[in-house]
Amino acid sequence: MGREVITLVGVRRYFVMGEFVVKALDGIDLTISEGEFTAIMGPSGSGKSTLMNLIGCLDTPTDGIISIDGEHTGGMSEAELAYIRNQKVGFVFQQFNLLGKMSALDNVMTPLLYGGVGVRERRERAKTALERVGLADRMRHRPNELSGGQKQRVAIARALVNNPSILLADEPTGALDTQTGNQIMELFEELNSEGRTVVIVTHDHDVASRAKREILVRDGKLEA
Amino acid sequence: MIWENIKLAFKSMMASKMRTLLSLLGIVIGVGSVIAILTLGESATKSITQTIVEGGLEMVTIFPVRSEKAANEFTEDFGDRLMANVDHIKTVLPVNSSTARLRIGQKSYSANVSGVQSIYANILDYHVEDGEFFTLSDNLASRQVVVLGSDVADELFPNGDAIGQYLSIFRNQAKSYLVVGVMESKDASFNLQFNNSVYIPYNTYAQRFIKPTIVGSYVVRVADGADSLVVSDAITDYLDSSIGSDAYMLFSPATLAEMAEQITGTFSSFLAAIAAISLLVGGIGIMNIMLVSVAERTREIGIRKAMGASPWTIMGQFITEAIVLTITGGIIGIALGTALSYAVANLLEWGLYIKYSAFVFATGFSMLVGIFFGWYPAMKASKLDPIEALNYE
Repeated sequence: MGREVITLVGVRRYFVMGEFVVKALDGIDLTISEGEFTAIMGPSGSGKSTLMNLIGCLDTPTDGIISIDGEHTGGMSEAELAYIRNQKVGFVFQQFNLLGKMSALDNVMTPLLYGGVGVRERRERAKTALERVGLADRMRHRPNELSGGQKQRVAIARALVNNPSILLADEPTGALDTQTGNQIMELFEELNSEGRTVVIVTHDHDVASRAKREILVRDGKLEA
Repeated sequence: MIWENIKLAFKSMMASKMRTLLSLLGIVIGVGSVIAILTLGESATKSITQTIVEGGLEMVTIFPVRSEKAANEFTEDFGDRLMANVDHIKTVLPVNSSTARLRIGQKSYSANVSGVQSIYANILDYHVEDGEFFTLSDNLASRQVVVLGSDVADELFPNGDAIGQYLSIFRNQAKSYLVVGVMESKDASFNLQFNNSVYIPYNTYAQRFIKPTIVGSYVVRVADGADSLVVSDAITDYLDSSIGSDAYMLFSPATLAEMAEQITGTFSSFLAAIAAISLLVGGIGIMNIMLVSVAERTREIGIRKAMGASPWTIMGQFITEAIVLTITGGIIGIALGTALSYAVANLLEWGLYIKYSAFVFATGFSMLVGIFFGWYPAMKASKLDPIEALNYE
């Protein structure tokens, strides 16, 4: 096992809803090492999405310590968190979340733009990423000209392009048919076998079973 | 990054053309009217001053007011005194004039009769077309000779055979004058009707026409290369201190031109300020459309944030979009305003004077409107919570 890329110590995330306090996460300790393929499971409302948002630095904990690739995110400003998201995390979403008015290539180039990479290098690296996911011939297509599986491949290329420490996928097969879903999972397996750290959040046992490690979240706590 | 933002802004503008056009309308109308008003104001000023200046910027005319005080001061040696006390004066010419009836055969015509020195035409840059202007000896001998303005000549001698004929000028009694010259046509300046005048020697006027109690006016020719404004101010100062401001009136094309420029300038600034209010209204339109745009693109903002766009980056994107919108509106407005000015100037037969400084001003102002009214929507976009934005339907 490699070094730790995700470390959570005593993480709590409470939401205040009127008079109630919802304890979405209530004391999470978790470490994920470089090169692991982890599935985070749990029924809806268990807190797994909140966990994913915290790991992806889209949210900050009420209490506890989160460290991504050695960087403590506590006390970071919005701009610093944005930098961590840009450099350390690659997101893949259930609904693809591609920018609809842009070509596949432009979509994949966008994280590099925010990373301050020059336009020529952006284009080269985006092309390489799209070739890696098998879309060399679809670079100029817009999302609405692509199939679901192709869209998700573009999203994976976009997540990979900045060479992040973590590939973080939220129900990546949820909007796809079984066969296409399998192909996407195969791609994740390949990427993991190349040494990438992959974390998939899912409620689907078939998807989770393809991961090397399963973590179950229930009522805001981890179950062994 | 700025370039990327500009490209993005154009993409989003083109994505909803009709909406973009409508939201630009306020800015277009605002900038267009400011440009049209400033340009037309400038053109009006130039065309008014042009008319005044044609009378001869280098001339200052003094009209004594009929009073005992004036009669004592505006004497035969006034010209010499003025020249002794005020610098940069080439000549001072006394002029007497009144209206009289002219007759030749059965034809009669009413015209202005001026008694002037023989150098008058020369000094005023007024040229003889036919014959010659009367001479110094004509004046000294008080000869009954006359030079006709072009309208008078056309009226009384349509065949162009005026020279050598005798013309009757009525004033109490008819006297006969020999026509020695006909002048070229010259545009009237604000106080001199050249074409409808006839000119007789100064002494003839005083001795044989009417004995004036006081000199009608003095035409002061400013020295070559001197500033007429300065000279006319110096004359005013001298006259006010030596005679009194109630004893004369002074006309100077330079002073009038300056006054006209001030008046039209103030007027067009005032109108432009009113038009600028429509720019403000246009700015509110931009804010409105930007707020709609931010709301519509909440999910896009969430995606961009997830990919690592910082709040400042998002802010920059939307501010740029607002600025691109307003500057585009500004440029269209400049084009329309200039076209409108061109049409109006053509219609009124003014020369068109385009104020390029107004273009720069309008573009800069549009940009400021974009920054000012784009700020709030952009701020709103930058502060969106990434999770909520990503889940926005």
